[in-house]
Amino acid sequence: PGGSRKRDLRRRKPSLYWDVPPPGFEHITPMQYKQMQAAGQIPPSMIM
Amino acid sequence: CSRIHNKPTFSQTIVLQNFYVNPQNTAKSADGSHIMSHVSDEEMQEHYDNFFEDVFVECEDKYGEIEEMNVCDNLGDHLVGNVYIKFRREEDADRAVKDLANRWFGGRPIYAELSPVTDFREACCR
Repeated sequence: PGGSRKRDLRRRKPSLYWDVPPPGFEHITPMQYKQMQAAGQIPPSMIM
Repeated sequence: CSRIHNKPTFSQTIVLQNFYVNPQNTAKSADGSHIMSHVSDEEMQEHYDNFFEDVFVECEDKYGEIEEMNVCDNLGDHLVGNVYIKFRREEDADRAVKDLANRWFGGRPIYAELSPVTDFREACCR
């Protein structure tokens, strides 16, 4: 799969993905999360 | 490709690293958990379509007109799930990178940066 699509998409249902934090990390920002990953406080395997 | 890519200061194109998680790949995910043991091709396609639409609509609504969007589906570690979005205007791309870097998507932080890619037929690894 791949490629682009024509601009005929107009949907407004709530997304299942956007702005969903990982469980247990609701109170930190994505920036802080990435810093913690870089510092080894969160396993990098969660990136995958 | 294992070359070091220079990060441009200005670009119409942004890359979201490891952004698309292929459910078929998830079955052998790094933490050893088998979230979905079997995913059919149809479910795959539906998952992909939903993902594509979700991302496209959100980004276009929020950041500006998109010219092109591509999802890398190969299995190279540094490329898998990379999503490339080419905006019409550089300033939209710039704004998108800065904002996306501080958002979550599906329980993961977003890794966004500007990309030098402008012609996907030349550059998309698949």
